[in-house]
Amino acid sequence: MKKHFLKTLLLTATLIFTSLGVSFAEPKKGGTLIAAVGNNPRHLNPAVQSGIVTGFPGAQLFATPIRYDNNWEPQPYLAESWEISDGGKTVKLNLVKDAVFHDGVPIKSSDVKFSLETIKKHHPFKTMFAPVVSVETPDEHTAVLKLSSPHPALMLAMSSQLMAIIPEHVYGDGQDPKTHPQNSENVVGSGPFKLVEFKSGEHIILERFDDFFIDGRPYLDKMVLKIIRDPATRTIGLENGEIDFYAFENVPTNINRLKKNANLNVTPDGYAAIGPIDWLAFNTKSGKTADVNVRRAIAYAIDRNFILKAIMLGVADEARTGIHPGSPYYEPDVEAYDIDIDKANKILDDAGYKKGSDGMRFGLNVDFGWPGLRPNAEYTKAALKKIGIDVTVRQSADFPTWAQTVSNHNFDLTWDTVFNWGDPVIGVHRTYQTSNIKKGVIWSNTQQYSNPKVDAIMEKAGVENNMDKRKALYSELQKMLANDLPVYWTNTLPYHTIYSNKVGNPPMGIWATSSPMDMTYIKE
Amino acid sequence: MLENEEMEEPIIKPVKEIFLTFFKSYSAVTGLIILIGIAVMGFIGPLFYPTDPFDMVWMPFSPPGTDGFLLGTDYLGRDILSQIINGARVSIAIGFSAALVSCFIGVGIGSFAGFYGGWVEETLMRLTEFFQVLPTLLFAMVIVALFGSSVLSITLAIGAVSWASVARITRSEFLRIKELDFVLASRSSGSNNMALIFKVILPNAAAPIIVQSALLVGAAITFEAGLAFLGLSDPNVISWGQVIGSNRIYILDATYTVTIPGIAIFITVLAISLVGDGLNDALNPKLRSR
Repeated sequence: MKKHFLKTLLLTATLIFTSLGVSFAEPKKGGTLIAAVGNNPRHLNPAVQSGIVTGFPGAQLFATPIRYDNNWEPQPYLAESWEISDGGKTVKLNLVKDAVFHDGVPIKSSDVKFSLETIKKHHPFKTMFAPVVSVETPDEHTAVLKLSSPHPALMLAMSSQLMAIIPEHVYGDGQDPKTHPQNSENVVGSGPFKLVEFKSGEHIILERFDDFFIDGRPYLDKMVLKIIRDPATRTIGLENGEIDFYAFENVPTNINRLKKNANLNVTPDGYAAIGPIDWLAFNTKSGKTADVNVRRAIAYAIDRNFILKAIMLGVADEARTGIHPGSPYYEPDVEAYDIDIDKANKILDDAGYKKGSDGMRFGLNVDFGWPGLRPNAEYTKAALKKIGIDVTVRQSADFPTWAQTVSNHNFDLTWDTVFNWGDPVIGVHRTYQTSNIKKGVIWSNTQQYSNPKVDAIMEKAGVENNMDKRKALYSELQKMLANDLPVYWTNTLPYHTIYSNKVGNPPMGIWATSSPMDMTYIKE
Repeated sequence: MLENEEMEEPIIKPVKEIFLTFFKSYSAVTGLIILIGIAVMGFIGPLFYPTDPFDMVWMPFSPPGTDGFLLGTDYLGRDILSQIINGARVSIAIGFSAALVSCFIGVGIGSFAGFYGGWVEETLMRLTEFFQVLPTLLFAMVIVALFGSSVLSITLAIGAVSWASVARITRSEFLRIKELDFVLASRSSGSNNMALIFKVILPNAAAPIIVQSALLVGAAITFEAGLAFLGLSDPNVISWGQVIGSNRIYILDATYTVTIPGIAIFITVLAISLVGDGLNDALNPKLRSR
């Protein structure tokens, strides 16, 4: 017995030391990371192109003024420090002194000014820098942003892939930045890696930039991003060791399958700022769903837990509001509409929607934005039958057809996945603002939801610099939205990062691969 | 045209003899019995097994046999037995209507091409060849993607891509028959072209067309399943293909959800092939004295 105990102790000690040994190991320099990307980027310049596909290579090629740690705290990056004054209306960035672009030209404050102006003009996320009126450059290493109003979202907008610092002497040559030839080849970036080759549809090869402004970084010599669209091919590549790293996996069956592999690590961490949420959106202006009672009854009839367990196979998290549960502004204490068929039927009865002889009250259509949401649409049909709503599932021919249907407001219900993009001002307000009801624009306020009180709160929260007060405002917003229910939020899209055991320090911050991977390394 | 009927006799076998040959073949009869069984299941089955195929009745992914669910439940907890029973109706309906569509197009084009010859034939047969060399599944996918996946568009798409073989067979039969004496006789007795095509030649060319069409029914059912497997099925109607399509992503976790409708399709298509073979033997005048 005693001997056995000693043996156990010894084993435990060994285990502890080995695990400590791994977690405290010095990152090793050198090595090549073979990663997969799930789609072909249009080009590699995140200053004029949104989306996570451009974000991955984009955040390696271009540096941003600041970066974020795992706890939503801003950290110095290209700006070694910053000062916020004048009630948030002046933001001074002190740039790193010895930073150079990939062609050796020093990075100056005028490049920051140029980049911000380019982004403001050409990037689809208009709210990011809307209050920035001018950028002053008192000296080569100081950029001063002048704002018309306080803009707390600015910090997140200056990180990740959202404010790529691009060289004025390359992209300021008068050509349209959106179609600039150097967006795809001979990219002159400011980040830890430089471009070797971008072969559309095949691969992107990145190489360590030796004069990167952080000494000793990046650790990797090379990154090969293989463009592999087929999920099965990616999964097999990860399983047989041809691919070391893949982010943004969201197929539940794939995630569960890869979790069983001892050579691979599968984690849902790192997507809090990306903030993808699956939801059922309602047309709040026309049809039966214009009645809030109908919307509430539908929410009561759809079982969020069923979606989490049966459709998402346990890999996704609950999302009760339009703000991602990983965000500091998330308010879980809202009306959650937990499954209650009797209540749903009662609401509809009381609102005067009588059941016909066939047990049905009325019919609705349900659309879905991408194939992964088809199970949700089929589930909606089955679930709403229980409260007497006859649902027709409409399968759109392709994404543009769906986008056209929904953005022109020709729908009753639609399943969709929408991203938070860090700050609520960037990715959340757009769904509920009256001013953002824009016919023909997808991911605008396609619900046509309009509530002056909600508009007022968002306006206030958008300029509130005090974190606690801002949290309180967003808490109120989420409660009001849950009450009006323009959208029924169900779960986070289960983005997972998969990496092999030989990968150290994969990007686990809030921005996943839309952040610099200068600290990632290859073990042994 | 009583006179003509006498002359047609050498080509069309007597009905009685056709039935005799057909029912003498064990395989053909087996196929027919299976087919009738499936049709009865599809059309009368729901009366005896009233579970709605869209209702979530039990825990998702309950394997066959769980708690009285003979074939288990799918990813939403819907009864697969009920889906198979109700799906039979739709799958068979799609199969027959798609075959009818391609038969209609194929016979129309083939008979005109074969009868008139010349530039009519040239044009129509080039068109047929065009459809014949197109990868059929891909072309059907394009049609369904363009017009949305409803039962109607799927049926029309399958019909529209599979008529080429019927057209070619019809044409070759017409080329052969139109030279025969009784056609000449009919023409000289004053029949116009339309009467010649549809009353004189077509009945005599019917045998191979019927056989080919019967085989097309089976092909159409497989086709529908193929489209569904690629996600192009009508989500509002339960067909076997739709069952496969909606459970496809769980194929590794709950194989039975895909294999059960797959087996149903396999048995049906096999039965149709057996019947088609039997018809071929029965209708073929050269095999008369076997």
